[in-house]
Amino acid sequence: MSKTSEGGADSSTALAQATQTVTVPWYQQRVSNSYRRRQIWDKILKGLILVAVGLVLIPLLDMLYLFAYKGLTVISLSDLTESTTAGTGLGGGGIYNAITGSLLLLGISAAISVPLGIFSGVYMAEFAGEHNRYASIVRFFSDVLAGVPSIVLGYVGYLLFVLSAGWGYSALAGGLTLSILMLPYILRTTELSIKRVPDSIREGAIALGSTRTSMINKLTLRFAIPGIITGVMLAVSISFSETAPLLYTALFSNYPPTALLHQPVAYITGIVWTFSQMPGTGPHDLAYIASFVLLSLVFLVNFIARVVLKRFSKI
Amino acid sequence: MSGNQELAQEDVATQDLMTPNDGTGTRGGSGFSIRDLNVFYRNLHVLKGISLEVEPHKITVFMGPSGCGKSTLVRVLNRMNDHVEGFRHTGQVLLDGKNIYDSDVDPVLLKTKVGMVFQKPNPFPISIYDNVSFGPKIHKTFKSKDALDVIVQQSLEKAGLWDEVKDRLKTSAMRLSGGQQQRLCIARAIATLPEVILFDEPASALDPGSTAKVEELMVALKKNYTVVLVTHNMQQAARVANKVVFLYKGDIVEIGEPPAMFENPKNPLTEKYISGHLT
Amino acid sequence: MPKTPTSDRIYKYVTALLSGSALLFIFLILYVLIQYSYPSFVINGLKFFTTTAWNPALGSNIVTKDGFSIMQGSSFGFLVYIEGTLVTSALAILFGVPVSIAIAIFLTQIAPMKVRPPVSFLVELLAGIPSVVYGFWGILVLGPLLLDQIEPFLASHLSFIPGFAGPVYSYGLLDSGLILSLMIVPIVASISRDVMIQAPIEQREGAKALGLTDWEVTRKIVLPYAKTGIIGAIILGLGRALGETMAVALVGGGANLLLHSIYSPVNTLAAFMAISLDGAFTDPTSQDVYALVELAVILVVITMLVNIFARALVKQGFIRSSEGVVRV
Repeated sequence: MSKTSEGGADSSTALAQATQTVTVPWYQQRVSNSYRRRQIWDKILKGLILVAVGLVLIPLLDMLYLFAYKGLTVISLSDLTESTTAGTGLGGGGIYNAITGSLLLLGISAAISVPLGIFSGVYMAEFAGEHNRYASIVRFFSDVLAGVPSIVLGYVGYLLFVLSAGWGYSALAGGLTLSILMLPYILRTTELSIKRVPDSIREGAIALGSTRTSMINKLTLRFAIPGIITGVMLAVSISFSETAPLLYTALFSNYPPTALLHQPVAYITGIVWTFSQMPGTGPHDLAYIASFVLLSLVFLVNFIARVVLKRFSKI
Repeated sequence: MSGNQELAQEDVATQDLMTPNDGTGTRGGSGFSIRDLNVFYRNLHVLKGISLEVEPHKITVFMGPSGCGKSTLVRVLNRMNDHVEGFRHTGQVLLDGKNIYDSDVDPVLLKTKVGMVFQKPNPFPISIYDNVSFGPKIHKTFKSKDALDVIVQQSLEKAGLWDEVKDRLKTSAMRLSGGQQQRLCIARAIATLPEVILFDEPASALDPGSTAKVEELMVALKKNYTVVLVTHNMQQAARVANKVVFLYKGDIVEIGEPPAMFENPKNPLTEKYISGHLT
Repeated sequence: MPKTPTSDRIYKYVTALLSGSALLFIFLILYVLIQYSYPSFVINGLKFFTTTAWNPALGSNIVTKDGFSIMQGSSFGFLVYIEGTLVTSALAILFGVPVSIAIAIFLTQIAPMKVRPPVSFLVELLAGIPSVVYGFWGILVLGPLLLDQIEPFLASHLSFIPGFAGPVYSYGLLDSGLILSLMIVPIVASISRDVMIQAPIEQREGAKALGLTDWEVTRKIVLPYAKTGIIGAIILGLGRALGETMAVALVGGGANLLLHSIYSPVNTLAAFMAISLDGAFTDPTSQDVYALVELAVILVVITMLVNIFARALVKQGFIRSSEGVVRV
């Protein structure tokens, strides 16, 4: 198979190379083109990677800086306590209407999705066995739910709550739509957190004669709480970061909310959405303030979630 | 793949690719000269003032209880420690008279000259052939496929694995037993034509039969290479070593030769270790 | 064996019932979407998929067709928007994936230990920024940057490449594509990082000991190991890009024509849906609304398929998404 002459020629080249051991010091061997090329390539790629990191970090830091700077210089207490001036909607006043609106929406959506999500998570983690078909179906559809684009959910909320149920643009419509968005998140994180609690704890409790109910309530949940809270906080952060589900369910308003039905409400993301598109410093100022508030909230929630998780996972 | 017949023909032209001729029929023979080496991981002083000679064509053993610094010391020799955070050193480590930490030394090149076999066999999840040819392919040391085939074969022969795998070179390396995988790793290291081979507790994950094979291998390899072995197994050291360096907490306690060192240790610490009273 | 105590059984059934809420929501969504898109499917039929115009013909008369009242001469087509969705997502992947993988490599191979947590944190922070804020930043910073500096440069120097010739606009495809790519980086990078960090260290050490450079170790050992996980991450990122609404609505420029060049205004399914619904209310026949809901159905089907595919890769056990569910 091997052609002796070719093999011989190559082998003696290799042989010659190898015998260089004697005549050339080891650290000067093989500095051939291929070798230098490999080193250069390594350096180039490392440089490109650093460039990529910069390409991502620079816009991020620019965003943070811009909104922090603008937000802090423009903001004043009245901005948080006044509402956007009504009528021409040219953007004056503050974002109080949006803050109160967002809080109301958050309250409604959390009141629905958090209990639903946690109890569902408890069922999936504690009562549903490995081969429980119902649980698999629930899990599958929960994942499907998580994948529905937020604008589609907004449409659904409009068609279902604003139109069919006849609630009109309202906090309830918006809140309910948001809760559909939040549910899969809370369900999944609750399920995972409870599953992480070691079985030894469960067995210990049952061996002592406790019923499953009190065991779960008193023991397992307590261990799972840090994880559950983190999940809830992340879902909460999603709820006030979303716009699309609220555009046609809560609509928008220049006034703080006073009713659950038939009354549109404002929300912080809506401020950015509306006023970023208007020219002039007045509207933009409002958008800056709202962006600043949003980023602060996201930062805060993220930070707290991490701290909570770190602190309490040592139980 | 060349059969044994054809290789005999080639032998005349190529001799043994792995052991070039410098007149003595052996490799050039590299040795290390370590002079007052101190190693720090951040503020932890791991090796303290180490000075020793690693002689060519001999098996030098670094031995000692856990934490004595033997693994660190052996990893200095091929600069694997460079990647550890907080690594600092003072002193010199000379390979054939040249300090391996000089700025004009390429650490990547060094690793082709000083190969390493690890404690846990770590073949790549590719074929046996591809494992052994991995190094040569990267370093482009051979230009024709035939030459590469010869390298692979000779490396596997030197590692004592050729007969067992010659019919299944293209099968996955992961199918081999632990002992075979370790010999594959040895073959893989040999294929880059090193001068020195470092063994970091190569048999601690293997059964006694494979351990014996690896020890046999090391003894056979010292004819063409310089071998450094790290082990905590005293019997192993007694079996294979030409020189034993006993380390404790970063210091050299004693350097000696078996069997004398084991029967009449000069240092009380050594005595304690040998009798099993030191951990 | 003693009977299960009643409290346990009540607990079990109550929680089981509440778990059904996920199913209920899905059912409601499907029901409503089908109900309100049905007229559009019937009336527009296959033309919907071949028409570029979106014309509610509000000024004309009401006539009947297929049992529904429609505006005479109205015609609805999704081509502009599906093109927008696909092209912006493709751009997002094109720009975002290499950068994300580079970041993952940076975080697992190159960066010194002290630098890794802060950079990781910053990358994850990117994931939390609301899309309207991205869009606002796009209006304030990226748009002018593109309009004044980058696009004129590209148009004058690269006009021989199809799609790069002018005229240039500030809000358009390039703008949207860049912002979208920024938005998918956190997902792709963090999943890639999670997978890459699991590459067995013995093999990386073994390769290094054989004299491979850092990049070679990454290329030959780590990346092949992480391949499937990275692909899954990319698909999840794609899902996110497909569903993204507000940022594109703000910087896309709102097009109703097919794309001309990389600077053209663009509209995606999601962005168009967000912008147009209120206008659609003026259609007395509601056909505009029905057509929009048909767009919603198409968007859901596309994202669903992408997500199912991604989940199939997850089931092979190669991805570990740290929160368990990744929001699209």
